Amino acid sequence: MVSIKLDNVSLVYKLHDKLTLSAPDRRVGGPGGRIEGSGRKQFVQALDGVSFELKAGDRLGLVGPNGAGKTTLLKVLYGIYEPSGGNVAIEGKVDALFNINIGFRREATGRRNIVLRGLISGWTEAEIEEKMNDIIAFSELGDFIDLPFKAYSQGMAARLAFSVATALDPEILLMDEWIGAGDASFQEKAKRRMDELAEKAGIIVLASHSEALIQSVCTKKMTLTGGRIKSLTPEPVKQTETDA
Amino acid sequence: MIAALNGAFDDISKAMKLHRVWVALAHEDIGDQHRRTTLGPLWLLVNYIAFVGTFVFVFQPAGKDAAGYAAYVAIGLLVWFYLMEVMSMSVALFQREESFIEGTTLPLFVYVMRLALQSVIRAGYAIVGCVVILLFSGSHLGMPWLWSLAGLFLILFTTPPLITVFAFLGAFFPDSQFIVGNLLRVGMFFTPVFWMNKGQDPVQKYAYEWNPFTYFLEIVRLPIINGEFPAHAFIVTIIAALATWAIALLLLGRYRKQVVFLI
Repeated sequence: MVSIKLDNVSLVYKLHDKLTLSAPDRRVGGPGGRIEGSGRKQFVQALDGVSFELKAGDRLGLVGPNGAGKTTLLKVLYGIYEPSGGNVAIEGKVDALFNINIGFRREATGRRNIVLRGLISGWTEAEIEEKMNDIIAFSELGDFIDLPFKAYSQGMAARLAFSVATALDPEILLMDEWIGAGDASFQEKAKRRMDELAEKAGIIVLASHSEALIQSVCTKKMTLTGGRIKSLTPEPVKQTETDA
Repeated sequence: MIAALNGAFDDISKAMKLHRVWVALAHEDIGDQHRRTTLGPLWLLVNYIAFVGTFVFVFQPAGKDAAGYAAYVAIGLLVWFYLMEVMSMSVALFQREESFIEGTTLPLFVYVMRLALQSVIRAGYAIVGCVVILLFSGSHLGMPWLWSLAGLFLILFTTPPLITVFAFLGAFFPDSQFIVGNLLRVGMFFTPVFWMNKGQDPVQKYAYEWNPFTYFLEIVRLPIINGEFPAHAFIVTIIAALATWAIALLLLGRYRKQVVFLI
């Protein structure tokens, strides 16, 4: 059974005073959150007491200002960040779409990039071969698929990224602001694929600043501020059947 | 400590299951580095031969040592360049892989193996040149070459942990990129890559005996040059290899989840 359960999850990381001969760097890298402490003992509270549960078919929209912890939360769900406290229990095959360019090689062709992305996601060569034509067809890239990735526009890159990430029927799909690129017809197509995925009892978690997107795709909405859950609307924001 | 080791072995075994990923990426890397060049990776062979040729031309001793010197430098440079490349590329490994580390859940050891394979492929071109130089300089293919081969395998065995240790060093201590770069440049003169230890110069003697890299060179070089099994060099190298593995496993087990916050 596909499910996500977070229990009082927190993520704190120290701002390492790197051993360096240069002047200390006070820029804050990594995820957002609240900076606490002072001097050498600064740390960032990126997530604080986050608890929620998602079941099959749920589509959660994450909203909140910059640095609220949306991406951090997605990365905790994906397993990139190890939480410093609390429990994360995830059942199901997770795929994620954070940044269009991640895992793509500029010099390689679209086709080769599909193979590389597939291998990174743990697919076998046979599975990649089987899905190849579907992915190319869905991306609508046509002959561009045999050109190097660097020749692609942002929209084309987004099409390819989305096609690959959703091709092997992930049970849980995590997405971060991916939809900014891609034209209206592709966005419509992408939304239909997400509908299919959710209908197959999958879970979607989507972080976005676009209220309209959250409204049209998601059934639940969670607002984060400063790494804490400000509100979680458990009732469906909008029924999937009434989607335009 | 047990937990750290378990974590490290878990990371390594996952990376080994994903061998297709690092094999594919390493090949892409080699292709990218030589894209749009006419000779492609053959430049690696040309560079190597040019280097050996220059050293032989400038430093070749007169008299009876002359013939063996080409072989001496050819093997010395082969091993030294390999180790130097591995170490200097490792220090910035995690920074270079930042977008992958922050965007995928690939085990860190995948990046280690990607660099290891890439370095081995690059060294493969130099090996071809080295064998040709050896045959031309009068070395005869024989049983002792098998000891040299064993030496090469021992160096291969040490490569992944060496990369791991230097990659963590670079992640925690960014200045080390420049320190390591400088030390390696100077290190070439303190390692018997192109000079021979005659035991007369105290500085040379000290640099020969106390430099661990001496032994990595000698396990490959002595069997071919002298036709002997360098037991002492092998023992030192094996101890160094195991120590490097131990440090690498502890670092990987203890800090692999911290790396994403450091880069």
